[in-house]
Amino acid sequence: MHEYSIACEIFEQVIETAKVHGALEVRHVTLEMGRLSHTNPEQLSFCFKAIAEGSIAENAEFIVETIPPSLECECGYTGTVDETQIGKNDELQSELLEYIAALECPVCGKNARIIGGRELIVKSIEIETEVEQ
Amino acid sequence: MHVIHMGHDVFKANDKVAEKNRKNLDKHGVFSVNVMGAIGSGKTTLIEEAVRHLKDKYRTAVIAGDVIAEMDASRFRKLGVPTTPVNTGKECHLDAKLVEKALGEVDLDNTDLLIIENVGNLICPVDFKLGEHLRVVVVSVTEGDDIILKHPMIFKTSELAVINKVDIAHAVDVDAEKMRDDIHSLNPDIPVILTSKHDWESLETWIGFIELGIGRTQEARKK
Ligand SMILES: [Zn+2]
Repeated sequence: MHEYSIACEIFEQVIETAKVHGALEVRHVTLEMGRLSHTNPEQLSFCFKAIAEGSIAENAEFIVETIPPSLECECGYTGTVDETQIGKNDELQSELLEYIAALECPVCGKNARIIGGRELIVKSIEIETEVEQ
Repeated sequence: MHVIHMGHDVFKANDKVAEKNRKNLDKHGVFSVNVMGAIGSGKTTLIEEAVRHLKDKYRTAVIAGDVIAEMDASRFRKLGVPTTPVNTGKECHLDAKLVEKALGEVDLDNTDLLIIENVGNLICPVDFKLGEHLRVVVVSVTEGDDIILKHPMIFKTSELAVINKVDIAHAVDVDAEKMRDDIHSLNPDIPVILTSKHDWESLETWIGFIELGIGRTQEARKK
């Protein structure tokens, strides 16, 4: 399960940043997740909770924002895939396959290079710095 | 309550270490191959065949990734090549940091070819570059002919695909040519090799592919 090692990396980064800013508690962790990354948000959140137990991030909630794949073509086109086409082809049984089927250049139709959509970014954290009265 | 912006990319952190690994390998003129594939796809056998036929011509070393045991590592050691086992513990893939550590144990000055056997899995290794020169995915006909479309990203991001155990395709009712077509539908440019350990000619194609990479690395070094 590769969510565990990813959760470890996220935990380290979150705690380090939280401490630098004098956090007493981490409330939210906002992630940006590429549609083409093999990461399961529920599993990630579960692993993170297990790792964060007893730390200032133990009750942190994950907010996941997804990033659509983006492409670069030899004809000069760069841009994201057309998300309105996703979910229209019943033959492609998974969302991942639909995205992959959509990875062709909308201008010339060639198979384009993936330049985005595989990332996993810890975008921001929301912290509590003092106990509210 | 306040928000702190971080922008820390988890995979890019791995990619940076992978880049370092690649530079280290390049500096020593080592050509490296990352062999990925499910448990039972025949990765170890294909690597053994390559090692057996290349070790006298090129100085060869192996990094063998495994969840806990050292079974594969001992198979390579028996062939008389330096072998570094990497146990990942609970992890399902090798990452760049694990390889960086393993590279510290490889005598890079005396290596031309480094084969890295990844942990048996078609999903997790995809997100983690190691710094390798050639990413190979091995899939066997026994995994069924829908295995490719179920794991699109590994075929999309590899540089060579091997369909193994084609000699028993008929027995397991799988069409190896359909598998080849599926791979090309995902990645039109990828070379696909059909292999069987009982067919020397097919193994020669596989080994020839690795040799091509070694040749290019050595050529680049002369310049
Ligand atoms: Zn184009």
